[in-house]
Amino acid sequence: MILSIKNISLYYGKAMALDNVSIEIEDGSVVTMIGANGAGKSTVLRALSGLVKINSGEIWFSGKRIDGTSPTNIVKMGIVHVPEGRRLFPALSVMSNLELGASLRKDKAGIKKDMNEIFEHFPRLLERRNQSAGTLSGGEQQMVAIARGLMAKPKLLLLDEPSLGLSPIMVDELVPIIKNINQTGVSVLLVEQNIGLALRVATKGYALQVGKVVMQGDIELFKSSDIVKRAYLGD
Amino acid sequence: MGSMIAARDSSSRRKNYTQIILYGILICFLLFIPLFFQSPYVLHLFILTLVYIIAAASMRFIMTSGQIPLAHAAFLGLGAYVSAVLSKHVGLSPWLSLFIAAFVAMGVGIFISFPFARLKAFYYAMVSLFFGVGLLQAIESLGKLTGGLAGITAIPTLFNTASKVPYYYCFLALTLVSLVILYRFEVSRIGWNLKAIDQSYLVSSSVGISEVKYRVLAVAIGCFFVGLAGGMYANYNVTLSPSSFDSSVTLWMIIYVTIGGMNNFSGPIIGTAVLFLIPQYFSGLKQYAPFISAAILFLVIFMFRNGLVCIPGLLMAFYKRKKSTSKSR
Amino acid sequence: MAESTILLIVATIVNALVLSSMYILLALGFTFLFNIMGILNFAHGVIYMIGAYICFYMATVVGINQWLALLISVAVVGLFGIFMERFIFRPFFGNINSIIVVCIGLITVLVNAVAISQPYNVQVTPAFVQGILKVGIVSLSWQRIVFFLIGVSLLILVLLFINKTKQGLQMRAVAQDLEGAILQGINVHFVSALACVIACALAATAGSLMGSYLSLTPYMGNDIMIKVLEILVLGGIGSINGVLFAGLIVGTLDAVLPIWLSGTATQAIMMLIIIVILLFKPQGLFGKEVRA
Repeated sequence: MILSIKNISLYYGKAMALDNVSIEIEDGSVVTMIGANGAGKSTVLRALSGLVKINSGEIWFSGKRIDGTSPTNIVKMGIVHVPEGRRLFPALSVMSNLELGASLRKDKAGIKKDMNEIFEHFPRLLERRNQSAGTLSGGEQQMVAIARGLMAKPKLLLLDEPSLGLSPIMVDELVPIIKNINQTGVSVLLVEQNIGLALRVATKGYALQVGKVVMQGDIELFKSSDIVKRAYLGD
Repeated sequence: MGSMIAARDSSSRRKNYTQIILYGILICFLLFIPLFFQSPYVLHLFILTLVYIIAAASMRFIMTSGQIPLAHAAFLGLGAYVSAVLSKHVGLSPWLSLFIAAFVAMGVGIFISFPFARLKAFYYAMVSLFFGVGLLQAIESLGKLTGGLAGITAIPTLFNTASKVPYYYCFLALTLVSLVILYRFEVSRIGWNLKAIDQSYLVSSSVGISEVKYRVLAVAIGCFFVGLAGGMYANYNVTLSPSSFDSSVTLWMIIYVTIGGMNNFSGPIIGTAVLFLIPQYFSGLKQYAPFISAAILFLVIFMFRNGLVCIPGLLMAFYKRKKSTSKSR
Repeated sequence: MAESTILLIVATIVNALVLSSMYILLALGFTFLFNIMGILNFAHGVIYMIGAYICFYMATVVGINQWLALLISVAVVGLFGIFMERFIFRPFFGNINSIIVVCIGLITVLVNAVAISQPYNVQVTPAFVQGILKVGIVSLSWQRIVFFLIGVSLLILVLLFINKTKQGLQMRAVAQDLEGAILQGINVHFVSALACVIACALAATAGSLMGSYLSLTPYMGNDIMIKVLEILVLGGIGSINGVLFAGLIVGTLDAVLPIWLSGTATQAIMMLIIIVILLFKPQGLFGKEVRA
């Protein structure tokens, strides 16, 4: 297990956001977490990357306990969070955005090499490398966000709703991108409301509903389940 | 669910009773202050506190709409000077000039807030700061009427007596009435709309709350009361000088509001009472006295993030936790 | 043109340039703090005043070389910046009212401490540079020219720092999207502390120099703070280009208007100009939508 979340609970003030959530991710796998708006998916990711503190439970990452660690150290350990809404630096160029993804790395040559590799994978970004990120289309911005995440050399990539606001064609393009990332040995935790995308790339799934895991298991189970439909519709 | 609502209802009713009793005790105490404190100087301080309470509460009212009125002390000065000039040079009764001053301050407030309502947050704060400086300089430059930098003296007073007691009761009544009116505004639909604008002017305008209208309204109401406070001050204090109304006074009003608690109606009242009166107690320290004020500021802001009004709540929570831990043992 | 007119024009231009460059140094630091931490440091003027007094104290009472005194002042005040970030700004992140209160507290303490400890007379830091430059009929003190050059070169250095270095890039990232920056592993506290150190060091430099250009009073920070606020509002808060442009305007007006007007009238006219401009451009000349 590269990541195991053990019974975490989290409150925003008095409102319970996560209730005894446990999630495990095997090294090198793609796991998806689905659920309606407000189910707590993003909160799990925010807890993982240290943006919010959990109230109880434990988070273990490749044999180390990481809850309570600062976001900087979490990135250093290899968990990189590509947030919902991308959160690019809009006035900075694509290149600068990618450089910032590698903020914690010291190996200049490696950074250069990785950047070239990314431009090979995303030729469209190469064309736009000097353009400011805010001027790109939604699909291109999502690519920059994912590429920026990759620049940190993650072991585990957290993708929060990468399909948000993208056209169906762009969503289809995400499938090979995520699979490619996974093939280079990066584990992926994909949070999605777009269930089609989630089912196509993941091998294992968790369904969240109002802060609780209501279903988990092999992805085939999800494909045949009608609970998935309900979780997706969120009633 | 139903039982929960019922339970909350009865507890809030109980809270209401205790609140009424507490207010009763407070008002009785305030009524007896002239008996407890015979010294005219102490009574003078209480009278000034009342004036500043109106000023701070009206400032907070404007702040609920998300505007930081850094000209507020200048408006206090405007009210004071208008009332002083009307009662001294025009010969109006101070009782009349007092209210004319309030309306003049309101008029000027409305006049400037139409153009200023386009400005957001920081820009509004700064422009109102500059406007306040300008207003004060305008007052200063009308030397014939206002006495310029040296100030105006021999302003007719409200009462024909050297005693401060009638002022105290009169101002107490005016303050209570002002506070009740401000409170009614705050809990009315207007108050809610102001808070909605503060949260998000885009959303509130999309549900049909006119941003400009309510921002102007907030300033109008706030300026009316600060003008009234100014008039009270002028016709009590007999002399005025521009330096009593400069921007540092505005900043102190913000401090009264924040230290007392911005999110609560009683915040500016408590904040003014504490921060105006306590440093006076230490005024014997002369040039070291400001350090006492600063110490109070730091103490409160670091210990009680939401102002002094949150202390009872914190004590309550502490008491409950203590009770629950002793029970679990 | 009469000789005296030429002299007046040249002197005014030089004065405008010196004032502008000093104002810009302060406004730039203030903008840094605003962009990176979203705070309005109303105590920036008082930092400037403290910088001026440390330099003055070192140069006169301790009696070391003025330039060394300047460096010491910058170092001390820069360290104080770290303290400010940790204990004053970080706890009140995003709460403008509390920031105002804390800043007033700080201003009260520092201004009164200086006022009590200093004798009540006009004090001036000894000149940093002696001598006069003569070009034809015009004579200028070298000190003014040097101050202007220091201002400009610091400005260029700072701009190079933000635009060319890794730390500068991180600063811009934090300014644009705080959470996005945290998720890249950027140590936001370090970046904030760095911004504070730079801002305070710039203020201390300006203060130390102005202590020799004008004179020292415990209240010198209040006056300059008004100037800084004018620049920020005029230029559009958060915009560095705005600071440069508005700094030049305010500095120039400050040098030109007193030729005809009294001090308070200058202030009033300046504020009037700014209010009128803002009524047409509510976000300032270079401003964008703002956070605070």
